[in-house]
Amino acid sequence: MSVASETETSRKDRLVPVLLEHMIWPILLVTLVVGGLLVPQLFRNVRSFELVLYSSVPLGLLVLAESICLLSGHFDLSIGAIAGFSAVFTGMLVGGCSSCWGLVGDPFLAMGIILLVGGFIGFLNGVMIAKLNVNPFLQTLAFLIIFSGAKTALTTQPVRDLPEAYLLLGRNSTYAIGLLIAVFLLFAFIMRYTSFGQSVYAVGSSEKSARAVGVNTDRVIIMVYVISGVLAGLAGLMLTGYSTIVPPDLAENMVFPAFAAAVIGGVSLFGGRGRISGALGGVLLLGVVQSALQLSGIQAAQIEMAEGIVLLIAILLYNFKEDIRGRILSGEAS
Amino acid sequence: MSTIDDNTQTEAPADEAAQVPIRVEHVDKHFARIVALDDVTFDIQENEVLAMVGDNGAGKSTLMNVLCGVHKPTNGQLYVYGDPVEFNNPEDAREYGIETVYQDLALMDDLDVATNIYMDQFPTKGIGPLRFVDWAETYSRAEDLLTDILDRPDIDAHTEVEFLSGGQRQLVAIARALAFDPQLVILDEPTSALSVEATELVHETVERLQEEGITVIIVSHSLEEIFGLADRIAVLYQGSLVDVAETESVSQDTLKHMMSTGQRPAELD
Repeated sequence: MSVASETETSRKDRLVPVLLEHMIWPILLVTLVVGGLLVPQLFRNVRSFELVLYSSVPLGLLVLAESICLLSGHFDLSIGAIAGFSAVFTGMLVGGCSSCWGLVGDPFLAMGIILLVGGFIGFLNGVMIAKLNVNPFLQTLAFLIIFSGAKTALTTQPVRDLPEAYLLLGRNSTYAIGLLIAVFLLFAFIMRYTSFGQSVYAVGSSEKSARAVGVNTDRVIIMVYVISGVLAGLAGLMLTGYSTIVPPDLAENMVFPAFAAAVIGGVSLFGGRGRISGALGGVLLLGVVQSALQLSGIQAAQIEMAEGIVLLIAILLYNFKEDIRGRILSGEAS
Repeated sequence: MSTIDDNTQTEAPADEAAQVPIRVEHVDKHFARIVALDDVTFDIQENEVLAMVGDNGAGKSTLMNVLCGVHKPTNGQLYVYGDPVEFNNPEDAREYGIETVYQDLALMDDLDVATNIYMDQFPTKGIGPLRFVDWAETYSRAEDLLTDILDRPDIDAHTEVEFLSGGQRQLVAIARALAFDPQLVILDEPTSALSVEATELVHETVERLQEEGITVIIVSHSLEEIFGLADRIAVLYQGSLVDVAETESVSQDTLKHMMSTGQRPAELD
């Protein structure tokens, strides 16, 4: 085989993994068409489509948090618990209900506090993992249990009488969707065009190599978990606005759909590969599936089961993708 | 004829020392009670290819790590053009133009060639402190490095490293070292896991580096490789420097003798 044709073949081989990384978009298109045909009320008008997007906002922020962790070769099981705890804690500070503390009167200060609480818990996660070498699975599992328990310890009743301004971002669908898009655009830019973003990919690809070439890997890992925590806090704020109260079980069971959306969106489970745009595709896909199931009149327990099936499909797709990639790398393909 | 370098094991006069790019003087390195390097003194000359050989545990890796800032000497001193220097980490060594290509290459397989080369030192653009990665410049510089200096236009700067052959991966690691505009490149076992063809590729690259005026240190087990590339050979034995010999003045048998016994043969005296 001539050098030219070898190059041509290897280029074709390299194109396949790139196409696989973008497979979320044809899958989303098919889901939209099938969903629209089976559940016509899903896209009856612009408002229906807006509702699908609006209901995806909190999950979208958690998917983004999880995606950044995955890209760095780590993961965060505690994002749901952080979102729930931040929302309950800040709700108690700013709320007017009988069991609330009511210590903070300024709703905008409360918005800052909810992000700070999330960021601080994320910081603790990052320090434990980067500096004390605690396994990310065990560390974030511990925080999942601790903060799930902590929010129930704070109150067993829903937190009510929250200031209107505090609820505004999550309550207004235009603001919520706009915020989701803005945050995704911001992080897509950060991951692509900043040295920090590229360091996240480097750490995810090989932490040892990244350290050897001068990347401050500990700092990158801590920053990743801080970002994850802040985004989880923001998801808590959106969920609060969405429901206008803070139930003690807020954001429970959201971590696995977040994983599923990130993986379907093409983010590697082992780090170093994936795009923020793909993660957004995963959010949209899961949002459409969830809305279609809800509009079909399927019960909540069955919806949960369907989400499990989506997670399973995500894992199968991931395996399929990795299998093809492995075959290309070992020269078996083409 | 003595093959030992005139500056080895002796103090160099001040004006002469100022001409020497790097001088290692009476360097010891201890790890607890283990003496990894024992009173090592030698010079690294401008634009030479110096091979570092020795059996396992001879101290090659420790000496390499002292030169590139991974280890601090327990005793002794490094000089760069006569000035005493202290390398606390690889970044300190980098400031003096010393780059290392580690045996495991330290590449990030999921990232493309240009990103691997410029990781943590991307060309940026922006306003004031607000700087962003300039991808056009990053790829352009990477292509220049690969094409003009390494003469490997076939390595596409946009290709993910995991798609490259062993030899190409080695060249990407060398290209990353060159991106810092080094005076000295240390190659740790550069061909230990490569095919014959890829090894040839790396040898050509070492010659090219020397043509570009760069000093190269090769840590290697392969005597054939060393005799084909090196101007001088530093032989280590159990942490001590046995000799720094001119390549053309020693035979492979003599070198093996020094590596296995730590003794300079009488004919070299």
